[in-house]
Amino acid sequence: MNGLFQANIADRGILLDPRTKLFALLTIIVFVLGGMGTLAPEWLNVLISITPLVFLCSAKQWGKALGFGAVYAAADLFLIYGVNSVNGAGKYLLIMLCTLIVRILPGMIMGAYLFASTTVSEFIAAMHRMHMPVQLTIPMSVMFRFFPTVLEEFFSINSAMKMRDIRFGGKNADKMIEYRIVPLLICSARIGSELSAAALTRGLSTGTRRTNICRIGFRMPDLIVFAIMLCPYLLLILKKAGAVSW
Amino acid sequence: MKPQSNKLTGKDLINVGIYSAIYFVIVFLIAMLGMVPVLYPMLVVFCPIVGGIPFMLFLTKVRKPGMIFIMSIIMGVMMLVTGMGIYPLIVSVFSGLISELVFRKGNYRSAGMAVLTNGTFSLWVWACFLLLFLNRDSFMASRAESIGQDYVTALDKLTPNWLCPVLLAVCFICGVLGGLLGKKMLHKHFEKAGIA
Repeated sequence: MNGLFQANIADRGILLDPRTKLFALLTIIVFVLGGMGTLAPEWLNVLISITPLVFLCSAKQWGKALGFGAVYAAADLFLIYGVNSVNGAGKYLLIMLCTLIVRILPGMIMGAYLFASTTVSEFIAAMHRMHMPVQLTIPMSVMFRFFPTVLEEFFSINSAMKMRDIRFGGKNADKMIEYRIVPLLICSARIGSELSAAALTRGLSTGTRRTNICRIGFRMPDLIVFAIMLCPYLLLILKKAGAVSW
Repeated sequence: MKPQSNKLTGKDLINVGIYSAIYFVIVFLIAMLGMVPVLYPMLVVFCPIVGGIPFMLFLTKVRKPGMIFIMSIIMGVMMLVTGMGIYPLIVSVFSGLISELVFRKGNYRSAGMAVLTNGTFSLWVWACFLLLFLNRDSFMASRAESIGQDYVTALDKLTPNWLCPVLLAVCFICGVLGGLLGKKMLHKHFEKAGIA
């Protein structure tokens, strides 16, 4: 989970506006996941499903790109060509698994890319431009800032508890949940109150207007992504109007 | 002491963010269990129960209207971006409002109401399963064409429609149980540590 909103600014490839990424994510969720992919023709679903792959490659995240590409391609090819080549009880399980991968994975990858390539400041700037209420953006940015801290604490507590044999199959397995969550909550609450004091001294509050030096705005790559992502909406409207069918 | 204003301050919003993070991490780690297919529907049991502990601690910080609602929406948005579809967000808007009203009824103090609040708040977990039920017809029709009728009937048997309201009820009950567990934990640990 390393890297949520901890963007590696020097090496993130195509510079997209956070709003573009949000729109891409929304489109993938609406068309690839929503209606189980029946809202747009399948080739278009595939096209918008693999756009995150391009983003990952441009950000030089080869491992992730290869993993996602391979799993997605395998699942999709199986659904198109391989369905009738297997038989027996495992067939339905395999089909279900592949359908889930094809439908859910692109959205997850896009979400992960969104978080890994956006800084908190950019996120706040974009939200401000979209006129999102500060009541929503402050908690969300605090939350993203706080994720790595909570996870770090969790893994430290986890290893401490393993040492005391409080783990799956250990002697004290019954205390697994209590002995992990209680210390996690106590130290996170402490760190949290310090964080909140620090944020208040930097002027993070309601009713005041903050300045932001992040330059966000739509450039050429944003336009291209928008153009691709608008296709399924257009087709859907055309289909509703009766002009096209598939 | 002069009466507190009901407007949310920066500190309240930061508290919402911090507890959302803790809550989400804990629920997320629990949800990893769902990678095992058999345990997947059991998440409506585990998530509300274990999530009750951080949520009850969060409720001790809530003294103004709006905080629970915001946290509920955040959970819906998080589910949207992690690919669970739009339904969790829709449900979380309503369940957040209901939770807000329930906790308000207890004057933002009552422990009993807090337990109930965890029950209603947890309903977003159930909403993650709605995807399976609501898109059913279009999904089934498209699969019947491309894969075959026998596949569709098998899937139909695995997830009968009556399972949907059952999961809802289970989710609420487990939320209440989680609230009770959280209350016990508050009493046992957090009050002593001075953070509840």
